[in-house]
Amino acid sequence: MPLPEGLYGLMAEFDSATDLVHAAKAAYKAGYRRMDCYTPYAVEEAAEAIGFHRDEVSLVCLIGGVLGLVAMYGLETWIAVWAFPLNIAGRPYYSWPAFVVPAYEWTILWSGIAAAFGMLALCGLPKTYHPVFNAPNFRNGATTDKFFLCLESTDPKFAAEEARSFLEAQSPVSVVEVEY
Amino acid sequence: MANDHFSKGLPSTLTAPPFVDSWRRRALIAGLVFSAIAVILGYLGQAQNQLGWEHLLRGWLDGFVMCFGFCFGAMALLFVQYLSGGKWGLIVRRPLEAMTRTWPLVILMFLPVAYFGATLGHLYPWAQYADWAPALQKGLISHDMAHAIEWKAPMLNVKAYWMVSLLCFAIFAMYVIFLNRWSLKRDADPEPNVTYWRTRFENLSGFGVVLFSVLLFILAIYWVMSIDPTWYSTIYGFQYLVGEPFVVLPLAILTLIGLGKAEPIRSTFRKIEQHDLGKLCFALVMLNIYFAFGAFIIIWSGNSPEEIPWYLDRIRGNWGVIATLDVIFHWLIPFTLLLSRDLKRIQSRLSVTCCIMIFAGFWDMFWLIEPSFWDAARHLQLTWGILEYAAMPAALFSFWLVYYFQQLKARPLIATNDPHLAEILEHDYVHA
Repeated sequence: MPLPEGLYGLMAEFDSATDLVHAAKAAYKAGYRRMDCYTPYAVEEAAEAIGFHRDEVSLVCLIGGVLGLVAMYGLETWIAVWAFPLNIAGRPYYSWPAFVVPAYEWTILWSGIAAAFGMLALCGLPKTYHPVFNAPNFRNGATTDKFFLCLESTDPKFAAEEARSFLEAQSPVSVVEVEY
Repeated sequence: MANDHFSKGLPSTLTAPPFVDSWRRRALIAGLVFSAIAVILGYLGQAQNQLGWEHLLRGWLDGFVMCFGFCFGAMALLFVQYLSGGKWGLIVRRPLEAMTRTWPLVILMFLPVAYFGATLGHLYPWAQYADWAPALQKGLISHDMAHAIEWKAPMLNVKAYWMVSLLCFAIFAMYVIFLNRWSLKRDADPEPNVTYWRTRFENLSGFGVVLFSVLLFILAIYWVMSIDPTWYSTIYGFQYLVGEPFVVLPLAILTLIGLGKAEPIRSTFRKIEQHDLGKLCFALVMLNIYFAFGAFIIIWSGNSPEEIPWYLDRIRGNWGVIATLDVIFHWLIPFTLLLSRDLKRIQSRLSVTCCIMIFAGFWDMFWLIEPSFWDAARHLQLTWGILEYAAMPAALFSFWLVYYFQQLKARPLIATNDPHLAEILEHDYVHA
């Protein structure tokens, strides 16, 4: 596959989360769909504003947790009942109260691991290259105190002139072109 | 700042909306109806097995301990929010203060428990058989019971019961009075004086929370655990320490959601704080099951004849059904529901969860109290008397709610002199 060339998108820079959210809402209302917000910290409303409703991390986390629970509880039952039955103080081989604690620990462990790695995978990380870093103001501000909205050129509605005038109407600090 | 035009002003009215009066009326009617039912059940129970009035008193104890939990659990939560800080504390502060101001009613509810239960010995075997030797000879009590009554007499005697309980009430009432008085004074202060007030409340709460934990432990032993004087557990008081916020916080959330239909709460109770309170509920659900299951597994592992009968009394003879449902109401349902992020942000669903949590509190108290008695241990009978555990606590809780709603109207619903006020007046989506 050849590397894509040309314009990746137009990026507007804002000074506050509120301005960004308003611009993002306006862009969604104007019909733009392929766009993304970049903020130095999580701004949930920005995600909502661009029509991103829910992520699958919680589902991945739940599946991980259930797998951990079943795995440990099954392991304990198998060992205590079939593989290596031991008479401990005359209790039944299948003593569920004693199985709860390790099963619970594995639920936590597996759901935590599933959530962490699932989040990375669903975010498409690790990623070695992303075009937005070609914008110099992005490199300086995205992790400190600036808020960015990028309209991507793959959007069917995207036309460079129109998109630029739209973004400039949102009173940004600046609007820059982002190359691939 | 660009944010300025999104911050809302303080609502023009800060007092409770008029519909709180109708809440109060409904609670009063419910209280009267449930009281009537409780009396009828008492007669029916008396005719059935001569235990009708005994059960009424046990039901009263259940209701009293729950109302005590609502009142002074709110005090504990006030301590915690002053110590931890945070926006969630500001929004629940006034409802919690209203709950704490119900303390005179709670002391009134205590008097029948102490008089009939301890002085006349209808609840506590150590009071009924304080003279244990003849009772042992006649076979009215077991050897273990006589031994426990003999050795625990310095703590478990009627005089100490009254004195310790009333002393604790006096100390708690003093804290409640200070918390409420200073809170008003702080609002009346023309200067913000943030550090001064914060330090003052922190000093009050820091020692208060430690003292409350210790005294609650003692009270839990006196009021509930000592119904079975043969048993002891070192985590028992902590279970009450978690059990109280477990019902208080859902009640505070329900209050806010109910009040949210009108100003001043409509524009100040935001999704962010609602979500935070939901998360705190989730933490309490986990902490509660951690203590409850921890206590169980330690005693189960030890399997010692001095400890395990307490659980056997509460599992065998159909009590296992109640215990299993207790786990389901207390942990399984709220845990699975509160896992969901959306649920915590949708008021209708969060209020259902809160109702389940409060119901679980009452259910758990039933399971703690009733099997302690000789006639019910390892033998759950579906008698009229058992229904007292529904009627009597419901009646007392309803009357308590009447008082609570009245107190809710007594003060502005938002504390104004607090640095977090500016934050809760912002719109939901401004984080910076």
